[in-house]
Amino acid sequence: MNALYILAVGLGAAFLLGLLSERQRELAYMLTLGALTMMSAISGSWLIVFVATGAGPIDAFTAGTPPPFAINLRMGLSEATLTLLINLTGLFAAIHMGEALLEKGRRAMAVLLIAIMALCGIVLTRDLFNLFVFLELIVIASGGLVLLSADQRAVAAGFKYLIVSQFISILLLLGIIFGYHASGTLNIDGMAEWVGAGSKPEGATAFALAFCLIFIALVAELKPFPANGWALDLYESAHPGFAAIFSAASGSAALFALDKILAIGGPDWYPLATGIGIVSFVVANLLALPQIHDRRLLGYSSIAQIGLILVAIGQQDILGEHYRFIAGGLLLSHAVAKAGLFWLSGMVAGRALTDWAALRDKPLLVLAFVTFVAMLAGLPPFPGFYAKWELVHALANEGRLALLGWILFGALLEAGYLFRWFGYAIKRTATQTLENTATQRIPVLVALLAGWGLGFVWGELSGRSNLLLVLPILFAFSFLLLEWAPAWLKNLLAIGGLVGWFLLTWTDYDPLRLIFVTIFTLGGAIIFLASFHAHGRRIGFYPSALLMFAGLVLLVRATDSFGFFAAWELLTIGSYFLILRGKESEPHALSYIVFSLGGAFLILAGFAIAAASVVPLAPSGAVSPAPTFQIAQLAALNEPIAPWVFLLLAIGFMTKTAAIGLHIWLPGAHAEAETDVSPMVSGVLLKAGLYGLFVLLMTMGRQTLYGVDLVNMLLWIGALTALLGNLMAIFQEDAKRLLAYSSIGQMGYALFGLALMNHLGWLMALMFVINHYVYKSMLFLSVGGVAKRTGTRAMYQMGGLITLMPLSFIATLIGIIAMSGVPPLSGFGGRWIFYNAIMDAETRLPMVLIFLSGPIAFLYLFRLIHTIFLGQLKDEHRRIKEAPFSIVLPQMLYVATLIGVALFPGLILRRADAYITQFFPEGGLNWDGLTITSQYGWWNPVVIMIVVACIFLLIFGWLLFVNRKAQKVKQFNIVFSAERPYRPETTHFAWNFFAPYKKAMGFLVQPFVTRFWGAVADLLHAAGDLGRRLYNGNGQIYAFHFLVFVVVVFAFKAGM
Amino acid sequence: MDFDWMKIPYAFLTVFIVVNYGFLMGALIQKIGARAGRRYGIPIWQYYLDVIKNYGLRSSITHGVMFYLGPVFRLSGGVGLLLFMPVIYGSYMFSNFSFAGDLILALYFVFFGTLGMALGAGESGHPHAAIGVTRGLQQVSMAELPFAMAVFSVALQYQTLSITEIVAAQQGGMMNWTLFTNPIAVVAAMLAFLGSMMRPPFDVFIAPQEIPIGPPTEYHSSYLALMQTNRAIFPVAKIVIYMNLFFGGASSWPVLFLKVFLLYLFSAFVGVCFPRFRVEQSVRFFLVWGVPLGILSIMLV
Repeated sequence: MNALYILAVGLGAAFLLGLLSERQRELAYMLTLGALTMMSAISGSWLIVFVATGAGPIDAFTAGTPPPFAINLRMGLSEATLTLLINLTGLFAAIHMGEALLEKGRRAMAVLLIAIMALCGIVLTRDLFNLFVFLELIVIASGGLVLLSADQRAVAAGFKYLIVSQFISILLLLGIIFGYHASGTLNIDGMAEWVGAGSKPEGATAFALAFCLIFIALVAELKPFPANGWALDLYESAHPGFAAIFSAASGSAALFALDKILAIGGPDWYPLATGIGIVSFVVANLLALPQIHDRRLLGYSSIAQIGLILVAIGQQDILGEHYRFIAGGLLLSHAVAKAGLFWLSGMVAGRALTDWAALRDKPLLVLAFVTFVAMLAGLPPFPGFYAKWELVHALANEGRLALLGWILFGALLEAGYLFRWFGYAIKRTATQTLENTATQRIPVLVALLAGWGLGFVWGELSGRSNLLLVLPILFAFSFLLLEWAPAWLKNLLAIGGLVGWFLLTWTDYDPLRLIFVTIFTLGGAIIFLASFHAHGRRIGFYPSALLMFAGLVLLVRATDSFGFFAAWELLTIGSYFLILRGKESEPHALSYIVFSLGGAFLILAGFAIAAASVVPLAPSGAVSPAPTFQIAQLAALNEPIAPWVFLLLAIGFMTKTAAIGLHIWLPGAHAEAETDVSPMVSGVLLKAGLYGLFVLLMTMGRQTLYGVDLVNMLLWIGALTALLGNLMAIFQEDAKRLLAYSSIGQMGYALFGLALMNHLGWLMALMFVINHYVYKSMLFLSVGGVAKRTGTRAMYQMGGLITLMPLSFIATLIGIIAMSGVPPLSGFGGRWIFYNAIMDAETRLPMVLIFLSGPIAFLYLFRLIHTIFLGQLKDEHRRIKEAPFSIVLPQMLYVATLIGVALFPGLILRRADAYITQFFPEGGLNWDGLTITSQYGWWNPVVIMIVVACIFLLIFGWLLFVNRKAQKVKQFNIVFSAERPYRPETTHFAWNFFAPYKKAMGFLVQPFVTRFWGAVADLLHAAGDLGRRLYNGNGQIYAFHFLVFVVVVFAFKAGM
Repeated sequence: MDFDWMKIPYAFLTVFIVVNYGFLMGALIQKIGARAGRRYGIPIWQYYLDVIKNYGLRSSITHGVMFYLGPVFRLSGGVGLLLFMPVIYGSYMFSNFSFAGDLILALYFVFFGTLGMALGAGESGHPHAAIGVTRGLQQVSMAELPFAMAVFSVALQYQTLSITEIVAAQQGGMMNWTLFTNPIAVVAAMLAFLGSMMRPPFDVFIAPQEIPIGPPTEYHSSYLALMQTNRAIFPVAKIVIYMNLFFGGASSWPVLFLKVFLLYLFSAFVGVCFPRFRVEQSVRFFLVWGVPLGILSIMLV
């Protein structure tokens, strides 16, 4: 059907509405919906045609003759997509605004139809003046639609909008007049041809000015910083249904219009577009940080997103054939997500961000919310993710690193405030109710489906494996459909999935990867055993957990940079949702996601820079498939790129292992997580960072930057992390925080081992990978079980639980023996390898820190077991029982594993040892017989175990014999200054356990890092708050902003 | 080196010799300490009497499983440490179970008894026991640091982690001892040694005046007897490590007796001359004096 019909239907229906009586509101409404459906259907049919046939664009002539005598409308793939987007946005906005439209009557509906029709017109038309007309129509229609809002401020906002629009119109009209005067045509393509023909010196200057005016006018339509106060006020006060149109449809149409006219201006104008885009993107995101009003926040976010798309438009010269994929991905993500969010905001009664907690009990709406947030943040599997990947690679390939950096910085800011908002919705208490009618739900759910659908489409278009079709991810997302099922069933499926994946793939891996994949699958499955304690449906847990595990297993399988990064992002998101489930974990989950995404962006930048060097695109960017390289190709990088890539990737991975300086997210995140989540994110997830570091060092080896050996720096960071992590752990009163800090220290050890860059160093790191998984999972479970029973995590409130929770005690005991490295358990193996490893090390000083951190670990471990299980039992705990069976069971499995590993470390390590030989031929271990031999010493775990057991049993037997008449006495029967202790609280020595150490070493654990990051966050917020004051609501000031914008852009262009 | 059933009786013999030597030497040192304080001191066989008396006590209580096992851990730690080392250089008879592991095994096995004892004392529920344990742990964490560095330095020096090989490298005259070939490491280690010998100025964790004997507060009768036996074995075993690493080892029992006695006497000398440190003072002491020496020893080797 002719594209003209889109306009005709809209216009016709609008006129028809005028013929109806004022009282036939339902009929008018049905007519409106029908017209919008019809318009959508026309666009949809065109889209299908273009997708199916791959045909080129088709022109429709309004007066039957070609331009310049008549106006031509062009329908192509982009136009079909955009008009469909606009029409559908209009349709569902009309559904969302049903009540308001019915109240205001047919005039409002006519105005809506005109607005949608005009937006389609902007997309379709190839005529400049026609474009102007449509823009005017939108201005008028928007002015009317603003009044749909119940908010009084909408009138003022609409007025300001009209004023600014007049400025824009004047500029545009002047530009068109001059342009026509110079070129003799109003047709966009005609003008482009005229410019392309060149050699018209007399008209060129005038035309340049004309184009500048047109450009400024159309850019101003995009609400760039700072000329956007009016738009913010509009977003804030307008009806959310209209705000959705204003953000999603108007924004898209204006972007497309700008894209069209850039064909006239040519590449000379790209830098300016890029500049305006990036400034808007970064500044709008910065100013959004201190926002507490939801719709205003969405307004800022809209401005930022449109800025980002403008950047893509400005970079089209280097994006080549990926341009439409990138700009389209960003645009559709923005449009769908923003429309969805505005519609959601229509359901939430309060306007504060915290009022969104009303969504909390509605899983489907939460899913919608998080989908939109993820789409805006550019997370997989949504189009923005693919687009961001391509964009960043193209920029890196051209060496536009500053721009790349700003984009990632802005994206991080945006992710920060969006996820903070999501955290509010999940964790805060709702004070307002939700208006949850079908007409309001449907548009949101449609946007939700559209989001996932687009994710699928972009996955297909990406030319790589579609993330939504990758088995583990599909498995994880399929749990979204199983949310109705009881938790135990889902748990069984989850365990089955993990074990099944292991059985399916375990033959594919080399020994090193096999160790990681075993922890990620079987290790995860063991922790899932503990999840059987949960009752009910446990909504949200399984999709999140399995998404994390999917990311983890895919990370190990990934051979190319794209697969690796996608897996990395998936495991980050999954774990974020998991962590967020903890009762008090809102701020910690936020800090986790911000650090993790920051790290992920560094990895992305590193990959992009590496890709530019490993598989350079042609200058035009016309190489297909897209810039992905095999991870192994990192080895081929040379100076001067290699050390920078190394640095970016190393910092990225170290955010995950919580190396010192980047560690502040970990304690809260791990401690506040649920009982079975803590071991998942500590025992399992941290290994992802180590895996990344393994891969990095395996491929890139040593790198030097400005004479600094980067691996040596890692060695120092590892050692310092081990020391400070342990030191901070000993001062914790909260048992789970203690374990969390201890994880930081343990990861420091592993990093240290890796950075030793010798055979045994790597073996030690692997040993830590295994051991840390086992004993940290076990300790988190046992402490979690205790916390569950006692209702507290503060150790000084516990005490004397050994007889009541003996199995938890045994697990903790075995755990701390293993962890402290005391023979005969498996921790000793790690220490023994460590000593052998450092004998070969090139640097010696960092060892000092490690030597100190070992005994310090002893301090916190003793504190853990003593203050919880030994000492004085509290009155309120006298009746508590052992932790639930499902939590104890995995602990007992771990005890068995630890003893097994202690006796036969060779079972696991032997093959890994052989594998490492290809990197470091020297210095391996000799595994002959039961004795493990290095070039410096030896160790026989079985003999040690037997000797220790014999001595122990002999002495124990002797004591039993001589002490056979020993009587068990009651709790307070102790030698206590000839008194009986009064209360357990005053007798249990537990609070401030290591006070002297604080006096002596406290200077090392001042919260410098927390203060630093706090200051950074404060600075950003303060800057945002300061900037936000630009927009004081005064129309004159806004006009001044506009003027400044015009002058700056003009001056910038003139100076270029 | 491999297992051989004869090692079992030999091990018993080693333990027997060391226990007796430890009892006598401990009493002798205590007597010397008393004389330095112008007191007469205990008879030389006092430790035997104490042990017999403790086994003979009729009242015996327990606070729980860990309390019961604490002394067992403690003594196993001492005996194990002794038996995991080649006590007499070059002697098959007294090499015991050193084929099970090298120097690192010995160093880490030290903590086996400490940990078990700490747990046992913890279960007694006595606050002084817990306070004593925390003080001991805090102090030892820093006191061990110069020692660890000295060990690293010595291992680097001789390029081995085998105690036997380290001793072998020091044979052929006193000037070959680590004491003379790597003096800084030895000085650092000897500072650490003071910190681990439970004598002033580093004995605040068992200080009778402040926290009536700390961790063993609740221990009595046969428990105490086991711990006293350990007090005879453990310091000797520990000094044997020092002797082997720094002072040329011992190729016969008399040499061992002499060297161990002199080393023990060193800590006793310091002990009678200096008043007791609080924990943070000892931590600072080792941080300021021990650690820089340790670092120096690593850098210079």
